[in-house]
Amino acid sequence: MKGTKLKVTKSVEKTIVNFLEKGLDKKCFDIVLIPLKVPAGDSFAWVLVQDKSLLADANPLPPVMTVQGAKALSSVARKGKMSKRIAVVMRPCEIRAVIELSKSNQIDLENILLISIDCPGALPLKNYIENPKESENKFNEILRSAQNDKGTQNDIQWGNESTRPICQVCDKFTGTDIGACQSDLHIGILGVKDGNISLIPNSKKGEDILNEMSFPVEKLSNNWENKVKELVKVRKEKREKLQEELKPQIVGLDNLLETFSTCINCQNCQNVCPVCYCRQCYFESEKMKLTSDDYLMRAESKGGLVFPPDALLFHIGRMTHMSLSCIGCGACEDACPMSIKVAQIFSFVGDKSQEVFNYTPGKSIEDALPLKVFEEDEFHTVET
Amino acid sequence: MSKVLKINKSAEDGVRELLKFLLESGKVKEVFTLKKINSNNVVSYSLITRAEMIKDAVPLFPLMPANAGKLLSSLTLKNPLSEPIAVVVKPCELRAFVELVKIKQGSLENFLFISSTCPGVYPLDMEVNGDLSKKLLEYWDTVKKGKIIPDIRPTCNGCEHFLPYTADMVVSLIGKNTDKECEIFLTTNKGEKFAEGIGKLVEGELETQEIESLRNERKIEKKKLFDEIKIEKFGLSGLIETFGKCIGCHGCSHICPICYCILCTFESCTHELEPSAYESEIEKKGGMRIPPNTVFYHIGRLAHIGISCVGCGMCTDVCPVNIPISTIFLKVSEEVQDVFNYIPGKNIEEEIPLVKYDKEELTEVED
Amino acid sequence: MEDNFEPKIIGFLCNWCTYAGADLAGTSRIQYPPSIVPIRVMCSSRVDPLFVLTAFLRGADAVLVAGCHPGDCHYQDGNYYTRRRFACLKKIFDSLGLESDRIRLSWISASEGPRFAKVITEYTETTKKLGPNSTKKEIFL
Repeated sequence: MKGTKLKVTKSVEKTIVNFLEKGLDKKCFDIVLIPLKVPAGDSFAWVLVQDKSLLADANPLPPVMTVQGAKALSSVARKGKMSKRIAVVMRPCEIRAVIELSKSNQIDLENILLISIDCPGALPLKNYIENPKESENKFNEILRSAQNDKGTQNDIQWGNESTRPICQVCDKFTGTDIGACQSDLHIGILGVKDGNISLIPNSKKGEDILNEMSFPVEKLSNNWENKVKELVKVRKEKREKLQEELKPQIVGLDNLLETFSTCINCQNCQNVCPVCYCRQCYFESEKMKLTSDDYLMRAESKGGLVFPPDALLFHIGRMTHMSLSCIGCGACEDACPMSIKVAQIFSFVGDKSQEVFNYTPGKSIEDALPLKVFEEDEFHTVET
Repeated sequence: MSKVLKINKSAEDGVRELLKFLLESGKVKEVFTLKKINSNNVVSYSLITRAEMIKDAVPLFPLMPANAGKLLSSLTLKNPLSEPIAVVVKPCELRAFVELVKIKQGSLENFLFISSTCPGVYPLDMEVNGDLSKKLLEYWDTVKKGKIIPDIRPTCNGCEHFLPYTADMVVSLIGKNTDKECEIFLTTNKGEKFAEGIGKLVEGELETQEIESLRNERKIEKKKLFDEIKIEKFGLSGLIETFGKCIGCHGCSHICPICYCILCTFESCTHELEPSAYESEIEKKGGMRIPPNTVFYHIGRLAHIGISCVGCGMCTDVCPVNIPISTIFLKVSEEVQDVFNYIPGKNIEEEIPLVKYDKEELTEVED
Repeated sequence: MEDNFEPKIIGFLCNWCTYAGADLAGTSRIQYPPSIVPIRVMCSSRVDPLFVLTAFLRGADAVLVAGCHPGDCHYQDGNYYTRRRFACLKKIFDSLGLESDRIRLSWISASEGPRFAKVITEYTETTKKLGPNSTKKEIFL
């Protein structure tokens, strides 16, 4: 793995912010998109930063995912390219969503530099909001454990039980091919025994930036790569295990009905989903408005009807629309007021449907969305 | 004075008996009420056709999984009901529905409205945590005493409109011996007609001393609630602090019974900007929060629905980041409604103030 | 810097009265401050409260909604609705502790060129006293 080393001063976050400041100074990019602490200090928000002094409140790795970064970026770059160059600092799952959105023409990637960071996971939004201060400390401990790593398995607390369930089983928490995440530049913070983090270019754009900033690109030690691969392996096993545990709750109609029975139809999950980009969801549109006779007929034929009906139609319908692009970021689960395991269920289904096409969302801008392409000679098993 | 149907059963059993009677006698085709929908006792609104399914109905369950006003609107949005349905809803849900009918989002035709003197509902969180079932004893005990119930929704705590305005039948709960007795007041002719044949009627007065004293208690609670948040001192910085953590899910608008637009303007292309617009904004300020319009969205929603807000509290319940939206909305909306002396959903005959005018009025805002 | 603060006032002017009044002020060569940025609308009742909010939150120092005098609306009664909506919005501003002096409703007819100039001059002065709208610099809106 080739890249450049960056000496950690104060903290990993500060080092990354310093790097960004340098980029702004050298005019390698004009604007940075990064989470800033909100004025009340009780959360984080995405801010396009041009004025360097604002970076004092920046945190490239906040303890929570408030708005999924791809959704934020899409609000800016949906209608076309920016004339200024933007450096975007995000978690790998956010970058993967960015790639997916750009395939659906929801983000114009020209002039955008995608920077991913090894992700320790995020805390559940609910827990964080209840006690931001304590949560930040807890998260810091998790994050810092990467530096205290002495090689035994318990040293690294990344994705421990206080992070979101979906983060605990995430096997794509990193950049480059290992994380199936096509950022331009990846910042490796795992396995930094020598007090250095590594900047790993992952595209021509990434290489150019390092050149422009006159960082030498050299061969890196295998520390990062080994550590990451080790953790990926652990996570893959955990993921399989979780999915096994999940099966009894979601396989079969009765189980599905039971699992989604508490759904109150607020559609928060869909509204925060980065890859659900429709301006108006089908399930909120005129098409779903029925006459009273329709409803009553349905009620009569069964003796009763849960109201509003069609919770399963909504969730499974949403799966058919977006599961091939589901990057398992967990935003849906964070936003669910009824604490339904939406993200775990959706990423379970996503894994299965993506497997069919051997497709990994966010891995490469070159991989076409599976439903946009076809071969004449394929999938004969599903036809009769 | 109105006619009262007395059933010597617990309040909930009494209502179930009434519903069963209505279905079996063919007076209504369906019943719309809260119902246990599975073995885990998850409670949801349901249409019930068969009388034997009434046993799972929990018409007085202290939970609002959705504002029924919104649901009844989606039921009758396209056309009015062709056959009668009895619905059991909370007073604020009924008010929301009446507001929606005023703006042509539903029809009152063929509905038999059954409501209650509402003690309030618990936040959805309590149902999620599984604590609600443990609270039920305390709930009904406090109802009997006519006191404010601990831990109910903050807006329920301060709700003065807990006596339904337009129901045909009202189950009297507050200050009543609800485990032994069910008193259903037939407050309209329609109510009396539907109750014909179920049993003997007596005369009674719905407004009691207990209700008056609870109303006063709640007024004090409401003032306390508003004083705590100090909304009038917000200003721009206060708004930014309060709504700063908003994640823009717009759950508050999707769940709001009054927000009836199929596509909210804030989700429409009207509020999508060209990249150049962002650039010029950033040029001016040095930075810009994205997605933008966080504070705008909330004040804008207030401007659109404040006049009709019934303060049901759904918005606070679904907020993933615990912003006290309903308290803020209730306070500001009441101020707006006071300008026109308007109580949303109180009277179907009374138009929404913004669709009518007096020639001589409000001279203080013009020049 | 505050001394030479020149406020920017966004004006939603109705086509039939106030916009014509502004024209008249111009053709009559009546002097008034260049602070007003007029936006022509067919009727003051076309102004969704969100328009006023948008201008306010994007940094306008003041927002003016202006139309025909009550009773003179080109569309019979549009301005009566405007007045009700404006009363709502003003109340919302007050309840949230926002400066409601920064929003204003005025009736200026097509023949009132001098009145248009007077309203703008006056409004510019009161806005100057309020100082720049703090939404201008706020990045977290």
